[in-house]
Amino acid sequence: MIEISNLTKHYRQGKSGVVRALDGVTLSIEQGEFVAVVGRSGSGKTTMLDSLGLLLKPTAGVIAIDGVDTVRLKDNRRAQLRSEKVGFIFQEYNLLPTMTALENVMLPLRYARKAKGDRQWAQTLLGEVGLAGRMHHRPDQLSGGEQQRVAIARSLVNWPSLVLADEPTGAVDTETSDQLAAIMRRMNVQHGVTFVIVTHDMDLAAKTDRVIRLKDGKVLSDETTAPPFGVPAKSKISWGDHEVAV
Amino acid sequence: MKEIVRNLTRRKLRSFLTISGIVIGILALTTMGALANNFNALLDGGARYYAGYVPVADANSNGVTGGAVLPLSKQSELEAVPGVAHVFPTITVAAKPGALNVVNFGLPDFIASYDPAENQYSGLKTTFATGGDVTGDGQVVLGSSFAREFHKKVGDTIVLPVKPADAQPDFVQHTYSVAGILNATLTEPDTGAYVTLADAQQLFKEQLPVALQANFDASKYAAGFDVYGTPGTNLDQLADRINAEVSGVKAQKPSKIVAALLAGGALFTEITTAAALLALIIGGLAVINTMIMAVSERVREIGLKKALGATTGAVMREFVLESSFIGLLGGLVGFGLGALVAVAVNASLASTQGSIFLITPGLAVLCVAFALFLGTVAGIIPAFRASRLDPVTALRAQ
Repeated sequence: MIEISNLTKHYRQGKSGVVRALDGVTLSIEQGEFVAVVGRSGSGKTTMLDSLGLLLKPTAGVIAIDGVDTVRLKDNRRAQLRSEKVGFIFQEYNLLPTMTALENVMLPLRYARKAKGDRQWAQTLLGEVGLAGRMHHRPDQLSGGEQQRVAIARSLVNWPSLVLADEPTGAVDTETSDQLAAIMRRMNVQHGVTFVIVTHDMDLAAKTDRVIRLKDGKVLSDETTAPPFGVPAKSKISWGDHEVAV
Repeated sequence: MKEIVRNLTRRKLRSFLTISGIVIGILALTTMGALANNFNALLDGGARYYAGYVPVADANSNGVTGGAVLPLSKQSELEAVPGVAHVFPTITVAAKPGALNVVNFGLPDFIASYDPAENQYSGLKTTFATGGDVTGDGQVVLGSSFAREFHKKVGDTIVLPVKPADAQPDFVQHTYSVAGILNATLTEPDTGAYVTLADAQQLFKEQLPVALQANFDASKYAAGFDVYGTPGTNLDQLADRINAEVSGVKAQKPSKIVAALLAGGALFTEITTAAALLALIIGGLAVINTMIMAVSERVREIGLKKALGATTGAVMREFVLESSFIGLLGGLVGFGLGALVAVAVNASLASTQGSIFLITPGLAVLCVAFALFLGTVAGIIPAFRASRLDPVTALRAQ
C-alpha cells in the first residue's frame, strides 16, 4: 500500500551546510499494519512522517500511496489526497478550541471533496473511543487523554487508509498512554486502517507489529514483532463498553 | 457561520473595536449619504421645476431673485412674445420674516402666490394628499413639511406670516383656512404655503417698510413671472427673445439654472465620497489589523486544517469569509445607527425646518454592500498570508 523508495530530504543549514534528515530510505508498509517508527531526536522520524503525510516534499525519492506516486503532485492534489487517504494524530492533540468534540471530529469532512464519513459516523467513532457522553464538550472541558481520543476519532472520520501519529502518547501519563494505545490498536484491527506511529515511547513501540528504527536519516533496523492482524493478547484494558487486547 | 462567530468572540474586545471602526465609517457614510440624498432630491426637484419654464424678473435681478417688482402690465407684453403659451405672475414672501437661516440644509418656509392652472404646465407636478385648490382669498394650500411643522389639516386655520419674537407692534398677520395639503415632493413645494395672488400681493406690501406702504398699490405688481412656452419651443431661445423684445425685464435661461443646481449637488456627492473614503481607511485598516492578528494567533490551526486536507483556496476562503462577516456586521450596525440618527434628527427638526436626511433603500444597499466589500477586500491580504503558510512549520508553531 505504501511504497517508499530512496526517500531523501535534505535541508540547507547555514551557507554551505546540509542536513540529511532522510537519506535514501526504502521500505514498504502493507495495508492494515500497525507500525512504530522510533529513533533519537534528529533521526528523521518526523521528517518521514511529514513526507508520508504529504505535508513535506522530499528532495528525492518516491512515495507511492495505493499506487499513486505523490511526490510530483501539485499542492491542491496533495491536499485532496490527504483528506481522502490520510488521518493525523498529533502529540499536542491540535483540536480547535472553539469547536465541540463532535465538530472537531467532523472537521476533515469539510475539506474532503468526496466525504465518505458523516455526522453519524463521527458520533459512532466518538462512542468507540469512549466519548459518547462528551461529544458536545469543548477541548478545554476535556482531559488530555480525552482530547487525544477525540483526535483519534478525527483521524478516522473520513475512512482513511493510513493514520499517521506523531508522538500520540507524548503528552499523557502512562495509564492514559496504555489506553490510547489500546484504542489505536482496536481501530487498526476493527477498521483495517494502517497506523504509522512515530514515538520515543518504547512501551508504545512494543505494542506494535513492526518497529522501524531510524538513525541519521537511514533505516537502522526494521523488525516485525507480531504478524499483522494476529495480535497476541498480552493484556486487556476496559474502555467504555469495550474490552481491548493490547 | 458558527465558527466565524466563535472566532470573533474569542477576542471580544478586539472584535468589538474592529467592528466599531467599520460602524463609525458606515455611520458617517449613512448620515452623509442621507444628507446628500435629501439635498439631491431637493435639487432634482428644482431642476425639473426650473427646466420647464422661463423665470422672468426685474432687469436688475438675476432673472429669478433680486431686483424690483414688475408691473402686471408686463404680463401682456410677455404673452405677445412668439413661442409663449402662458404667463403667470408670482410673488413669494418669507413665512417667518426675521428668521435666521444661516445654516440650513433645506428650503426656508415661504408663502407664494398660486394659480391652480400653472400646475398643468409645470415640470414638477404637485398632487393633493388631502383637500384641494384654493378657491378664493383667505385660503391656503400647504406643502407637506409646512403642514407637518404647524400640525395643520384641511379645514384648520393658520395665522401667517409667523410673528417673530422681536416683531414690531404693527406686525400684521392674517388667518387663512387650509383648503388642501400637498403630497411630499422632497423639494420646494414641501415648505411652501400657497395663497391667491391677491393675498400674496397684500403680504408683500405688508412686509415693505411702513413709509413705502402708503403709496404702493400692490395689486398692480408682481415679483416676477413664470413664462411657459408652446410645445416644442426651446426655452433658452425663448429667454433670449424675451430679453430682446421686452424692456425692463430679465429672463433667465432654464439650462443655466439647472446647471447651477446640479453643480450644488456635486458638492454633496464629494462629501459623500469623502465619508466613504473615511470608512474605507478607518474600517479597512481595522479589519486588516484584526485579520493579521487572527492569522498570527491561528497559525497552528491553519497548519492543522491544511494537514486535514484544506487547500490553499479553502483556507483563504475561510479567512475572507470571516473578514467579510466583520464588514457585514459593521455595515448593518453602522447603517442602523446612522438611520436612527437620521430619523431622530428629522423628528427633532420637524417643528422647525423639516427633514434634512433622506434614507432610501438604495442608500441602505450601498452602505451595507460597501461595508461587505470593505471587509472582503481588507481580508484578502491576511487570508493570502494564511493560505501560503507551510503546514509543517505551522503545525509546530508555538
